[in-house]
Amino acid sequence: MGDSQYSFSLTTFSPTGKLVQIEHALTAVGSGQTSLGIKAANGVVIATEKKLPSILVDETSVQKIQLMTTNIGVVYSGMGPDSRVLVRKSRKQAQQYFRLYKEPIPVTQLVRETAAVMQEFTQSGGVRPFGVSLLVAGYDDNGPQLYQVDPSGSYFSWKASAMGKNVSNAKTFLEKRYTDDMELDDAVHTAILTLKEGFQGQISGKNIEIGIVGADRKFRVLTPAEIDDYLAEVE
Amino acid sequence: MGYMCWSSEIAYSGGMARFAADVPTRGGFSFDLCQRNEMLLKKGNQLPTFRKTGTTIVGLVFEDGVILGADTRATEGPIVADKNCEKIHYMAPNIYCCGAGTAADTEAVTDMVSSQLQLHRYATGRESRVVTALTLLKSHLFSYQGHVSAALVLGGVDITGPHLHTVYPHGSTDTLPFATMGSGSLAAMAIFESKFREGLTRDEGIKLVSEAICSGIFNDLGSGSNVDVCVITRGQTEYLRNHQLPNPRTYVSSRGYNFLKGHTGKTGEPYIPPNPRR
Repeated sequence: MGDSQYSFSLTTFSPTGKLVQIEHALTAVGSGQTSLGIKAANGVVIATEKKLPSILVDETSVQKIQLMTTNIGVVYSGMGPDSRVLVRKSRKQAQQYFRLYKEPIPVTQLVRETAAVMQEFTQSGGVRPFGVSLLVAGYDDNGPQLYQVDPSGSYFSWKASAMGKNVSNAKTFLEKRYTDDMELDDAVHTAILTLKEGFQGQISGKNIEIGIVGADRKFRVLTPAEIDDYLAEVE
Repeated sequence: MGYMCWSSEIAYSGGMARFAADVPTRGGFSFDLCQRNEMLLKKGNQLPTFRKTGTTIVGLVFEDGVILGADTRATEGPIVADKNCEKIHYMAPNIYCCGAGTAADTEAVTDMVSSQLQLHRYATGRESRVVTALTLLKSHLFSYQGHVSAALVLGGVDITGPHLHTVYPHGSTDTLPFATMGSGSLAAMAIFESKFREGLTRDEGIKLVSEAICSGIFNDLGSGSNVDVCVITRGQTEYLRNHQLPNPRTYVSSRGYNFLKGHTGKTGEPYIPPNPRR
């Protein structure tokens, strides 16, 4: 393919008008563990598989879903270390926004700034794009919101979305199950069922992670015990 | 005490003048301008003075935690700029900080450290500790060599217990069971020294703090208006804004004021209107 001749440099377009490095970054995302998000009428839920490389790993030390502010959380698919860098930068930007405007940062603004960082790394010398796509879930004055940010820096608002390994099956499942007037609890059940679809092995509170934010505007990660309760309800 | 002192720059003067071309800088305080400062002073050039706000701020440790108190007067020299300002600043859900000195400096430095503590909470997943806030404040103030005129009373309760510290503008700190800062600190300290004891109850503590602040309000010109109190215990913080209002506005006529013609005295000099042609 003529494209492969242009895949060495990030800052060079291929003749077909693509930046091949970004395509490769998206492939990296596509081979990451499945994660998904659903926007309900009164909140947002994000969830991900937490498959650890070995049973010897202490799963309590791993947390994939993280807080960016008290009311905004994020989950990723792709390279974990890259997401940590982004989360760190976003947290700092949220604090800077608060210091300047004395108001908590709206979800759209934070997503924009995160996307801008990701875009910077597609147009600079000596760096590579981030190998993650992020699902940002938050609740602010504009209600519950869910955004997906890609390695290229583009972002979209979604009612429900999935990323990673099982993305096409997961999205089809979500399309069938999603309703506009879903409550947060229903959304959590749907998220669990979607993860279950492509799950290899026995699903439990220890190998998936779920984060929710409701009208109380406090994003939190559910404990394994709470997830097990939801799993029991689903069965 | 922690007052701004420009003469500290001059205290380090003397010694050899090392010209910048020969020796690379190694960080730390640069004494290059000290000779110049001395020469200017000798010529009669005065360094500009800083605007200071008078204040009474206090803190004490009681049986369940920490109580902070502050007056609410902000002054610009002899003028009262704000009759009801907030001097007790939020640092973390379990840590609050009273600020004396230049109002902009105390606001900015407490906001900045509050922001840093929030980032630290995200990174560690734990409640903030008072000593963390203390270290962040003192390193910042020290690096500005006393030019950030913020004298603070920092108090809070964390996993290791209740803590109370004072922070001076140059970056030194003290850890105390009871503390006062600001121009009214002597008046307030007099109350504390005579009435403080360990193991006060919540109500006794609030009463003592209010008394100390009132002492500052009535005996110090730089402090006045109302008393703000903040009670911090394990798991709960109560911010009692305007806990006491000992200076209500009296003598307000309900009919309004009516000044009749002739009530204002005249000097006897004729009034010459300005020339409109000029």
